[in-house]
Amino acid sequence: MTRRSALITLGMTLAVVYGGMALTQLGGVRPLLGLDLQGGFSVVLEAEEGTDPEVLDQAVEIMRRRIEALGGVQEPEIAVVGDSTVEVQLPGVTDRDRALEAVGTTGSLEFRPVRQVSPIPGVSPVFFGATPTPEPEPDTTTTTVPSVGGTTSTTAGEGTASTTTTTTVPEGSTTTEPSTTTTTLDPTEGIVLPAGVTWCDEVEQAGCVDRESGLTVDPDPTLDAFLTTGPAGGDIIYHTAPARILGSDLEGAQAQFSGGTSGSGNVVGSWVVVLDFTAEGGDKFAEVTRELANYAIGDPRRQFAIVLDGEVQSAPQVSPEVDPNTGITGGSAIITLGSSADQEEEARSLSVVLRYGALPAAFEISTVQSVSATLGSDSLRAGLIAGFGGLALVAMAMILYYRALGLVNVIGLTVFGSLMLMVFSLLGEWQGVTLTLAGVAGVIVAVGITSDSYVVYFERIKEEVHRGRSLRSAIDHAFSRSIRTILTADTVSFTGAVLLFFLAVGSVKGFALALLIATVCDVLVAVFFTRPAVALVAMSRLGDGGRFSVRGATGLPPEGTS
Amino acid sequence: MSVWRDLYRGDTRFDFFGNRRRWFTISGVIVAVSLFALVFLRLDLGVDFEGGTLVEFENPNAVSVTAVRSIVDGLDIGGGRVQEVGGQGIRVQTAQLDPADEDRLVDALAALLGEAPEDASRLSVGPTFGSQVAESALRALIVFLIVVALFMAWRLEWKMAGAALIALAHDLIFTAGIYALVGFEVSPATVIAILTILGYSLYDTVVVFDKIQENVRERGDRHAFGSIVNLSMNQVLMRSINTSLTTLIPISSLLFVGSFLLGATTLREFALALFVGVATGTYSSIFLAAPILGVWKEGEEHWIKVRRRVERKGAEDDFAPTHGATVPAASMVGATGSGAVPRPPRKRRKHRR
Repeated sequence: MTRRSALITLGMTLAVVYGGMALTQLGGVRPLLGLDLQGGFSVVLEAEEGTDPEVLDQAVEIMRRRIEALGGVQEPEIAVVGDSTVEVQLPGVTDRDRALEAVGTTGSLEFRPVRQVSPIPGVSPVFFGATPTPEPEPDTTTTTVPSVGGTTSTTAGEGTASTTTTTTVPEGSTTTEPSTTTTTLDPTEGIVLPAGVTWCDEVEQAGCVDRESGLTVDPDPTLDAFLTTGPAGGDIIYHTAPARILGSDLEGAQAQFSGGTSGSGNVVGSWVVVLDFTAEGGDKFAEVTRELANYAIGDPRRQFAIVLDGEVQSAPQVSPEVDPNTGITGGSAIITLGSSADQEEEARSLSVVLRYGALPAAFEISTVQSVSATLGSDSLRAGLIAGFGGLALVAMAMILYYRALGLVNVIGLTVFGSLMLMVFSLLGEWQGVTLTLAGVAGVIVAVGITSDSYVVYFERIKEEVHRGRSLRSAIDHAFSRSIRTILTADTVSFTGAVLLFFLAVGSVKGFALALLIATVCDVLVAVFFTRPAVALVAMSRLGDGGRFSVRGATGLPPEGTS
Repeated sequence: MSVWRDLYRGDTRFDFFGNRRRWFTISGVIVAVSLFALVFLRLDLGVDFEGGTLVEFENPNAVSVTAVRSIVDGLDIGGGRVQEVGGQGIRVQTAQLDPADEDRLVDALAALLGEAPEDASRLSVGPTFGSQVAESALRALIVFLIVVALFMAWRLEWKMAGAALIALAHDLIFTAGIYALVGFEVSPATVIAILTILGYSLYDTVVVFDKIQENVRERGDRHAFGSIVNLSMNQVLMRSINTSLTTLIPISSLLFVGSFLLGATTLREFALALFVGVATGTYSSIFLAAPILGVWKEGEEHWIKVRRRVERKGAEDDFAPTHGATVPAASMVGATGSGAVPRPPRKRRKHRR
């Protein structure tokens, strides 16, 4: 290496590294700290074995939405790990319960045909006597055989006759208990509940109806349910049939403004939510809408309720132009709302509910961890003190042992440190990569590995000098030989880090990433810093003569005297 | 002074290979003790692996462990382990609690210690999660070993890969054994530390073997393999010492800071594994991996021939193993690179004065 090329390389390296480090740090780009270093909350959720990876990805997307809705979470990190595990890290979150709710609850999105609507807001239709007399049960046969039932249901639902086809055994007649208890003053007395639905006792069973409110406590998708819209929707309570379509049948939903200009030039139109179903979902939807379209316009039973987590979000009517013989086919549908700003809002939130409302997989919470902010910062402080203390000691040892070369090593460690700081800052900014305690440990270990690269090189220089080479040829030879060793050894570390990163879970990942970055930085520093720096030192007065010189470090007398 | 000077100049003549039986015995004892500890004392697996709930608080008012224990017992949550951590904190570990019980525990502890409930560090792990973590780590480990062995077999040679893996197993067993002996808890941090040791041990062995390979290339037909091992070991000795020092210094600082200054137990336990691992990693690459490789290679036909030839000529070989238990030749200073071979150097690649 000539003096000129060494100078240029060294100058450029230092400019890029120190400049880049200064730019990122002054620009406020700092490494993101993991929650073990700044406090926060983490949850590991497990889905059932064999859950479709796509479903997991979808669940992650939904969790992200919900967490964003929480507000105040810096850089949530949600990742699918392994086959069926989702890891959620929420740095800085202190409200455990809300966070847990956001990630852990399995929202269930259901489309349920409406049987009855409460005439008075807030009063459940269950208190208005028995289930509606003309039992609208053409679906009990068709729901059970959804895929092959395509043709049978057409005949069953054909014409207006469907409203009266009570082909099933009327459940009302089988439940005879209420008539035997006529003496008590129970408000629920005499009320015939739909099939399979019971009143809630002390022990709540799925799908049971609360005696006071008349609402279903824990709706079961296979049973009738009495559900409310909640205060925002005017507390309308619906009696709904079992769910016919689930969140997983829906492919997507979007809020759009649909319309144009009318003949008189005014803009007309309305906000709509466009639904796209999966192939299977489209078939189910056609079936449901065909049945619903058989009811007269304005009949409450002509609508279906979109239910999220047991609350009715919307209950659109099937529009008049839908053919009662075919229903809405084609795998997509439009829910028309209106043109006002409120309705725009409604359309948007409905589309969000439809898209992200339900976690498509059932998760079990397997690990919950919260780290207090003070403990986190203590760990960070300990890590930093350890890191800097270690660096200082290594620097001292290296200078003592390798003299001028040790100086190169010390500067090299600052170059390495700056590079790591820069890389982690940028990764945090661009990729949301956080630096964890394990990562800090990885960096500290990397300091050892980097020092080793220097030791390998310096020892080699000594060896070459002892063999009688001149200092200048020794450093070149030593470099080309030792870079092979360094590359081989770094490849081993690198391979290990990459494998760990992809195969391991949680904190091991953070460690692997730090090690991975460190090994790459190590090679870069060796080529672009150490080599030209050593060349320059060797060519300068520090090269030969004096105990502090490079030659002095080899233990041989100055050149020419031997 | 002279040994130090020889070390400094790389002129030592330690007979690593000749003393191999001694090293093998030492390593054998280490492995036996470690295995004994592992089997009879067992590893103390932490919450992360066994499942359970762990609550940690700072303890600025130095409330006694007994007081904390009585509170915990009073909650009727099925008992628990109360520990002081680093002299500045209190850790309570129980079987996995449901969220309500966990909150009760945290509130009670917070009230007793005079801390805010939010300042608690809590961890609740289901019983299956740990086995998953362990499984994934194990899978990573196996894949890693296979890939690295293949890489070493390709870049160096397969016997070197084999010797490196044996040395690695030695390091891992020893580190795990220390954990069993000392009774430290095995946490995910420990797993990380052990994985680091893997990397480090291999790294170190690769450097040593790289040197052996180079020497074989340069003087393979003139020196017996044992001599080359000795030569290489002496050449890399200073590097190994220096590297271990420069690696152990940051780790000791982690150990010291973590353990005494700040009571960060995670750091302490992590650093201990690293410390033991790095130290044994250095030891095993010099005293175990290289001699194993030597024994293995000496059995090869080529090396038997070379050995016979060298012995027949009665050549003075600086690095010939003594096959005894003595450490000779620290006095042979001055023979530096004189290449004490009677016949003229033939295939020498590099010119030496």
